[in-house]
Amino acid sequence: MEFKQKRLANGLSIIGEVNTAAQSAAVGFFVRTGSRDESKEISGVSHFLEHMLFKGTDKLSALEVNEAFDKTGAQFNAFTSEENTVFWAAVLPEYLEEVTGLWAELMRPALRDDDFNIEKNVIKEEIAMYKDLPHYDVMDRCRSLHFGEHPCGNSVLGTEEAIDAMGAEQMRGYFASRYAANNIIAAFAGNFDWERMCDLAEQGCSKWEKQDAARVLAEHTGSGKKERVEKANLSREHICLISPAVSAQDERRFAASLLGVIVGDDVGSRFFWELVDKAVAETASMQYSPMDGTGAFFSYIRCGAGNVGKALEIVKRVFEDLANNGVTEEELRKARNKALSALVIKNELPMGRLVDLGFNWVYLKTYREIEEDVNAVKAVSVADINSLIKQFSLSEFTQYSIGPA
Amino acid sequence: MAESVDKCVLSNGMVVLGERMEGVGSAAFDFMLPAGAAVLAEGMCGAANVIEDWIFRGAGKRDSRQLGDALDSLGLHRSSVVGSSHITIGSTLEASSLSEALGLYGDIILRARLEDEQFEPARQLAIDSVKGLDDNPRQKVMLELRERFYPPPLGRSTAGEVAELEKLTPAETKELISENFNLSQTIFSVAGKYDFDAVRRQIEGLFESGQTKKAEQVDIGSRAGKYTHIHNDGAQVHIGLMTETVRPADEDYYNARVAVSVLSGGMSSRLFTEVREKRGLCYAVGARYHGLKEAAGIGCYAGTTPDKAQETLDVIMAEFNRLADGISKEEVQRAKVGLKSALIMQSESSSSRAGAIGGDYYILGRVRSLDEIKERIEATSVNSVLGFLRRKRFGDFTVVTIGPKEVKI
Repeated sequence: MEFKQKRLANGLSIIGEVNTAAQSAAVGFFVRTGSRDESKEISGVSHFLEHMLFKGTDKLSALEVNEAFDKTGAQFNAFTSEENTVFWAAVLPEYLEEVTGLWAELMRPALRDDDFNIEKNVIKEEIAMYKDLPHYDVMDRCRSLHFGEHPCGNSVLGTEEAIDAMGAEQMRGYFASRYAANNIIAAFAGNFDWERMCDLAEQGCSKWEKQDAARVLAEHTGSGKKERVEKANLSREHICLISPAVSAQDERRFAASLLGVIVGDDVGSRFFWELVDKAVAETASMQYSPMDGTGAFFSYIRCGAGNVGKALEIVKRVFEDLANNGVTEEELRKARNKALSALVIKNELPMGRLVDLGFNWVYLKTYREIEEDVNAVKAVSVADINSLIKQFSLSEFTQYSIGPA
Repeated sequence: MAESVDKCVLSNGMVVLGERMEGVGSAAFDFMLPAGAAVLAEGMCGAANVIEDWIFRGAGKRDSRQLGDALDSLGLHRSSVVGSSHITIGSTLEASSLSEALGLYGDIILRARLEDEQFEPARQLAIDSVKGLDDNPRQKVMLELRERFYPPPLGRSTAGEVAELEKLTPAETKELISENFNLSQTIFSVAGKYDFDAVRRQIEGLFESGQTKKAEQVDIGSRAGKYTHIHNDGAQVHIGLMTETVRPADEDYYNARVAVSVLSGGMSSRLFTEVREKRGLCYAVGARYHGLKEAAGIGCYAGTTPDKAQETLDVIMAEFNRLADGISKEEVQRAKVGLKSALIMQSESSSSRAGAIGGDYYILGRVRSLDEIKERIEATSVNSVLGFLRRKRFGDFTVVTIGPKEVKI
């Protein structure tokens, strides 16, 4: 594996990790923008804009874009989170040029009014779809309750009302301020020709403008509030808990990630043995979610209405026990092995590698070899995790539940 | 592409398959145990889920906790899937842990402790997961659809029925395990980095003396109703529809796969273009081929708000029916490239390959090489696909909706 990087005069970063043994290659444009960069008036615009990029440019219609991608057999899509919008494609090496050229073109979209109005319907259908998926819905609501006025509480999808009220002009304004060259990274992983990709990126992206696209970062420990809503059509209780954690830039993120595995991996964790194995809850998980300048542990528990009290009592006990006694060497050893094999498996696919490569550059402005992450996971000690537990109390969580009446 | 398929059949009939992959450090394996939802006795719908959980609650010299800890210590990423024909249990792991992992799986399959006090939570979790489906209409609609589309018992719910689960006893479940964990019909597959001789010897040592018997034929009944609506006051109407097509062993299989890709392969496909891009009716819409050994169908899902449900269904049905009228050369070309690319990219993942070679062997009685699949896809053309669509026109559709509003068929 060989790492390459280049920065264009307008601030666009191009990075790549070449693996000539791979069967495929992956490309991604990582835009450092998401719902946390939105004001209330344009809530949901980052995600809506992500959809609009597929609608084409002054030269390409939406159908032409889709045909051009499909002609290459690419697996391609995009996703929007609180803080990133990522456009990606995984493709056979011989088609990478074509797909990269296409993405570069699309990053300067036409944003036509007609397309905007039709796509509004699709966005509202997506919002409706997530309402019918209570395990997502509860996470979204809990995030907003936890972060309150902090921008990380902003909803990625926005509300139906906000989407209805949004105008194409507002989207164009947002695009101009956030899709600046210096706020975008073009990343490549797998089997590809670095020089050729740099040429392509230079041709396609060097005219993009530079902008001040700063983001306000603030630590946040969470509101600690508790709320519940009833929905008559539900049959189970869906509970989300959010506890504070370290940020994506923090050295302790590896310890936090391992703590997530110890407490809430889907098998063999404390939640598993105390809640799932005993059939108190059908699902119970906790995951560390690193963010820009802050972080959180997200727990999700689903159980029958009769078990809610018992399940929450057990969670409380698990958290208290961790605060009092910490984790054990044996737990750490198991979590480490799981994390290490997950790293190996994920990075065997160019697409898996692309995500780590891109996000390391977004958050840390650096390249990390897989080996560095492996060593960082191996270096975490019981003392590291226990001191993390002392500094960030799991028990101080925000709680949101959705369940039957 | 470096690939080679290893195969041997143990004297008890158990099949051992492997596909070596260059440049990976992982290995993945699956045991396909012939105890899927359609195979188990009538009146015990869901028992496969209880079994899949119960066998992990202690095996050989290890109790439940010790077994879980031993699996975790190896850093395994476990997977368990209950399907129509099999319970498939397996893992993806760093290749150096393979031998130890296989030893543990040998215990789980042959020497599960099946203690009575561990039965209750296993059954309760199976019941909970059926109830949990009510809160996931998108998943539920496809299960309900398969149940109605496939002639019974092929489409029998892999999740189960609460009433039947509530009646299930430990003794009956033990009986099911001993009847159906039949090694002569079990397929083991491994892919990634491994030494086939070592794996074969180990599997032989672990399983050769296990119990075997003749495979039993499943009696297949006739298909249930055409349209079912399940009321739910959610935000969307979740629409599932399915129509019969050729089985994986059929000569026309690749023509069918290309046809489905034209309909719903990429973002330029017919359904995405007509339903989402032009009309904005849905966020999620898509069709895919779904094949069992005995029967196959093209299944389609769409989720949409109530006022658009009828139009969504009408547009989807029209697109299915219009397919035989004509397909362009470009459409077929895009479908072929898409299928081939997906295949090659899948070949980079050890867990995908382990699953694929095991599935091939069960359904076709042999493992297709990636080159063979590529050639067969390449050999399709506008004429072959249209010929297939005209010879085997889509017949009746089985339709299920879940949501606040019914549709008209």
